[in-house]
Amino acid sequence: MKKTFATIGLALLVAGCNATTPETAMTPKAQYEAALARTQEWVDKAASVDGEWRDIRWKKSKKKYLPKAIEAAKAGDYEKALKLLSIAEFQARMGYEQAMAEKDAGPHLYGL
Amino acid sequence: MKKIVTLLLSAGLVASASTAVSGPKEDLEKFRAYFEQKFPGIPLDEFGNGVYAIDANKRLQWEAMEEFPPYDDYVDKGREIWEKPFKNGKRFADCFGDDPSKVRPKYPHWDSENQRVVTLELAINECLEKNGEKPFKWKTGPIAWLSGYLGYEARGQKINVVVPEDDPKALEAYEAGRHFYYAKRGQLNLACADCHVKYAGHFIRGQLLGPALGQTTHFPVFRAKWAKKSKTGDGMGTLHRRYGGCNKQVRARPFPAQSEQYRNLEYFHQYMSNGLAINAPGYRE
Repeated sequence: MKKTFATIGLALLVAGCNATTPETAMTPKAQYEAALARTQEWVDKAASVDGEWRDIRWKKSKKKYLPKAIEAAKAGDYEKALKLLSIAEFQARMGYEQAMAEKDAGPHLYGL
Repeated sequence: MKKIVTLLLSAGLVASASTAVSGPKEDLEKFRAYFEQKFPGIPLDEFGNGVYAIDANKRLQWEAMEEFPPYDDYVDKGREIWEKPFKNGKRFADCFGDDPSKVRPKYPHWDSENQRVVTLELAINECLEKNGEKPFKWKTGPIAWLSGYLGYEARGQKINVVVPEDDPKALEAYEAGRHFYYAKRGQLNLACADCHVKYAGHFIRGQLLGPALGQTTHFPVFRAKWAKKSKTGDGMGTLHRRYGGCNKQVRARPFPAQSEQYRNLEYFHQYMSNGLAINAPGYRE
């Protein structure tokens, strides 16, 4: 009886996890593709308000998180690609939010 | 009752708008007053010398450097470029007029026909293209040498950037440039104004931050840092090269030289140095 409960419990736990976190069930490639689309959307948004940061994709940056993520994915290293994309996405989102927060910047903020 | 509320609201809006928004002339007055208060006793024209106006030790080093200025050779090269005819027989003088000393003070200016800010470097390359020549690279080399020569010839004349009052687009360009100067950007969350207005006169690592007032009078500049990076020791660079460098340092993606963003920024930035003498090219660390 104890064993049956334990088995049912484990099955429910596994089913529950699958239901609440669908991304973990995705293949690394699918996770990468979703993350890439999300990141590119944020990068475009940041660029549209002149808020893009240096290290996301600028050709002279040593970091170039986005192009390097794409390179890593091409080489099949999705773990590395996802790690780089998470930085690029964060920076793009912050760049956009910064530009929005600075929309009314002007001399008045400096006591002028 | 509705009318009264509307009237009160409108009055409130007008009042708040008038306190928040100021025009170029008011901006300039407040800007100058701020620096004159921050650095009392420094004559207005001295601000064109940047950090050398506010730090005695650095000034001594700079004065020693100015005895044999490293930009001299590049001013000569600029003169040669000015005088050399194009393949079609015309010269730069056909675009800018015969007197090279009268060129620099005309830039930047508002081009009402094309609704844009025209900088000296933009005009140089447009002149080349108009005459069937290949334009120069935007930030270094011949464009900086020629611009340096034209600055040298104009030394002592006052900067006099005009924002035409009858053209709202000109004011928009000025305001876009002003916004750029005061908006924080990049991963370090710093505005141009953080370093050159709020913390002017303070150190950032080993570098003394120069005041924004007079910041454009000595451009293009010869920078020792740029000379060190160059294979030929050429340290000359344009104002837009410096803008790109500053943006890169705060970890924002720089805009291309002569982009609309940087031309508008230059429009505002040079306006803030109105009344100061041109002393280009300058020497900087």
